[in-house]
Amino acid sequence: MRYKKTSSTVLEPDMTPMIDVVFQLIAFFMLVTNFEQTQADERVKLPSDQLARPPETSRDKVLVVNIGFNRDKDGEKTDPEAYVFQGDDMIRVLDYGRQLREEKRVAQALYGPEGNREMSIEIRADAETPTGMIQELIKLAQENGFEKFSLRAKQLVK
Amino acid sequence: MRPRASRITATKIEAQMAPMIDVVFQLLIFFMLTLKIIPVEGDFNINMPLGKQAQESNEIKPPPIKVRLIANTDGTLASLQMGQRQLGNDYLAFDRLNAEIGKLIGRRDNPFADELEVEIDADYNLHYRHVIAAVSACTGYISPQTGKPVRYVEKVKFAPPRRPAAG
Repeated sequence: MRYKKTSSTVLEPDMTPMIDVVFQLIAFFMLVTNFEQTQADERVKLPSDQLARPPETSRDKVLVVNIGFNRDKDGEKTDPEAYVFQGDDMIRVLDYGRQLREEKRVAQALYGPEGNREMSIEIRADAETPTGMIQELIKLAQENGFEKFSLRAKQLVK
Repeated sequence: MRPRASRITATKIEAQMAPMIDVVFQLLIFFMLTLKIIPVEGDFNINMPLGKQAQESNEIKPPPIKVRLIANTDGTLASLQMGQRQLGNDYLAFDRLNAEIGKLIGRRDNPFADELEVEIDADYNLHYRHVIAAVSACTGYISPQTGKPVRYVEKVKFAPPRRPAAG
């Protein structure tokens, strides 16, 4: 019996369209990813306002202070006390002076003796934080030579 | 003379796509996992040096505009006042405050506009969102024509905290 000789063919799929799409996706995610917001804490529910616009020039000497509450999955407060969130640590606002002293030392080491005066403290506080706590924090910062403050809010688009 | 036929044949070099696709997918997965969708944030600047006395000068500075925010026990707004004027506690109170500040600033070429300062004096337990609303009402408004912010007062400061009485 005679067999017909057939040459085996390897089907190579055309990869070009897939690579095009994948590069498009990478470009999209690279543009959308905002590494500057890494200091923002998700537990803080910021107040929102129409006039809260991002600054035209980004500040280079900034200390971000996140103040908020312990909340459960539904967003309900589990503790009425407001804390400063620093990574996994939670510090009572009135006890934050020690950290501010340390920040002052670091600012002076990095930027010179007037470093702390040039540094801006960016307060990201929960909308329900008692205002007195924010004032106490500002006072503690003033005692450590910080003069510039900015109050952070979500931009409200009507 | 007969030309010698060249025996060099063109060979197609195929680039290895597999490692590149591996790396590209790794990058794609990294960016997908690190993506956090965060709403746009803005800020209000306040400049509060501690105990800095006014420099001696012949210039007479206008007194700060005092904005008083009184809280209910649950931290909600009980009353908003500008100077001696009651502006209410409803959602239009901050619009009234904005209008009052606008009247004070008056025309755009007001020579005192840059000198004006607002002092926010809020109760200790007042929710911070009301302070942000007051700061916003004092600093300007969004122009309905252009959609861009128009600034009123740049200088905002806080009064000392009103600590609740002990006991």
